[in-house]
Amino acid sequence: MASQDVVHYDTPLQKALRVSAALFLAVYLIWTLLPFVIMFVSSFKDLLEAFNLPDVGDWSGVGIFFEFTPTFEHYSSLFSEGNFGRYMANSLIAAGGSAIVSVVFGSLAAYSLSRVEFRGKKDLFFWIISTRMAPVVAVMVPLYSIFRTLDLVGTLPGLILAYTTFNLPFAIWILKGFFDNVPYAIEESQMVDGSTRFQAFWSIVPLVAPGIGAFVVLCILFAWNDFLFAAIIGSGGAKTLPVATRELVQPQNIQWGSIMAAGVVTTAPMMLLGLVIRKYLVTGLTMGAVKE
Amino acid sequence: MTDVTNFENKSMLSGAAQLFRAREHSIEVEARPLTDALPEPTIFNPPAPKRYYLYLMAPAIAVLAFISLYPFFWLIVMSLQSVDIGSSEWVGFRNYARLLKDPNFLSGWGLLLKYSAMCLFMQLAIGLMLAVIVNNHRYEKYLVTALLMPMMMAPAVAGLLWLFLYNGTFGWYHWILQSLGILDSASILASQSTSMYAIVFVDVWQWTPLITLIALAGLKKVPRDQLEANMVDGASPIRNFFAITLPNLYPVLLIAILLRFMDNFRFIDHILVLTGGGPGNSTKILPVYLFEVAFKFFKLGRGAAIALTLLIVTIVLGMILVRVFDKPQSERK
Repeated sequence: MASQDVVHYDTPLQKALRVSAALFLAVYLIWTLLPFVIMFVSSFKDLLEAFNLPDVGDWSGVGIFFEFTPTFEHYSSLFSEGNFGRYMANSLIAAGGSAIVSVVFGSLAAYSLSRVEFRGKKDLFFWIISTRMAPVVAVMVPLYSIFRTLDLVGTLPGLILAYTTFNLPFAIWILKGFFDNVPYAIEESQMVDGSTRFQAFWSIVPLVAPGIGAFVVLCILFAWNDFLFAAIIGSGGAKTLPVATRELVQPQNIQWGSIMAAGVVTTAPMMLLGLVIRKYLVTGLTMGAVKE
Repeated sequence: MTDVTNFENKSMLSGAAQLFRAREHSIEVEARPLTDALPEPTIFNPPAPKRYYLYLMAPAIAVLAFISLYPFFWLIVMSLQSVDIGSSEWVGFRNYARLLKDPNFLSGWGLLLKYSAMCLFMQLAIGLMLAVIVNNHRYEKYLVTALLMPMMMAPAVAGLLWLFLYNGTFGWYHWILQSLGILDSASILASQSTSMYAIVFVDVWQWTPLITLIALAGLKKVPRDQLEANMVDGASPIRNFFAITLPNLYPVLLIAILLRFMDNFRFIDHILVLTGGGPGNSTKILPVYLFEVAFKFFKLGRGAAIALTLLIVTIVLGMILVRVFDKPQSERK
């Protein structure tokens, strides 16, 4: 850090750069955070108040945004008339179920993939990751036709299975990285002490537990935020929050207040979860290719 | 000793005792006649047979085969059929032949490339700039937390939110764009010439933070000694950035680009919500067109043919990605 202790004399160019960087950051932050503010505030607004806008070009009239009497009507109507409690439970079961299935099966598979060499392992790996990368719409065409013959369309098990198409490969891929970091010597020493092979595996699970926990959360996040699978495979019996939110858009009469409230309900839990696993986010979202 | 007879009995059961050797050993050793030499301690836990690991792998592979391999072959079968609700008939390669004459199919690819290129360019430019600004900033932790907010939102909800913000009569972003003189009174979604920008902006809004995060992770690993050596040689910070920092970032940026490019194929939620491919066909990128064919008109056979072309391209992209992944960390820096 030595170079930073030296007093800097900025040239005018550097000064200009510094100012424009700060300005850029400020503008970007406003642009990126304003939608959240608008969503949050609008969810407390009366239908008419939400439509208030200043005249075009009248920047001083922005204050009109905050002129409203807060109402919880949208939230209460979501749950009383809109059945959102049910959709929320659906979302939770589908996302949680697929996360658990993926991580349980995934960690077993990841563990053994990390411990054994065999011919065709590379190909197996490629198959696994390409399953994760495949476009959801393309996967859904055959899956829909298969699920229809099995009567899985519109059911929660069907939706859980559908989410597993992207969560399981994800879990295998990421968790293998974790197990690779645990030396085999630990299991060996456990087995010398007389534990069985499975007990030995169980003894290293605590070492990877924080990672596994974070990836359960990430799997939940991916599944919770999904729209396509839920809209087609979950349609009818297993409506999740994003789909229910989308359905508030009626051609005649768009319930913007309710939509914004539903948006808050859908987004807020995931934001909190995202902050909790902040440390693993980059690793997770880049499939383990980039580590912080 | 009364145990002796007992011991004789036990040695007859040695076959069974063998199974529990590790436990029995310490007690029995004293009573053993000297002639009955201890068996050479073989390795107690020889390297697990591969079979054992295959058993552990089996459930995951079975599930994966059912939800990925089987559907893939089914997809190929479907693409050779004309599938309607409840019935299907073989049509050979007619689905594919029709694709070549389908203007929406060809323009779908074009639009997908255009959309991806626009998204990637903007995300890369903005994301990189942000990463450089935020890196070692006094409030880095808080800034990063604020930046990554949009990524947590369901893309469909993001689409709905922006549908509200873009609205021509009461949308705040419409008002801002209009007040800045960029737009006239028609909504950005209403015109064929601007609707593509509308969906690009939403994607940029949501996923630029990912590029920023990836670039930040890369920035932390730029070797400090190189930077300092360059500065001692009298290079300006700007020169330093282009000569040292950026080349060091290339590998992570390549990963970021590939991931985002594939995600542009994967996520069409916000497009379905915002424009549904319209107005006209101006935002009907290939996955959206596929969605329309397969799940609006339920032409699953034709949809399968489109899906197969899409999958093949993704698989090729995936091969490139895995090759990048496979490089050992040391090479990637």
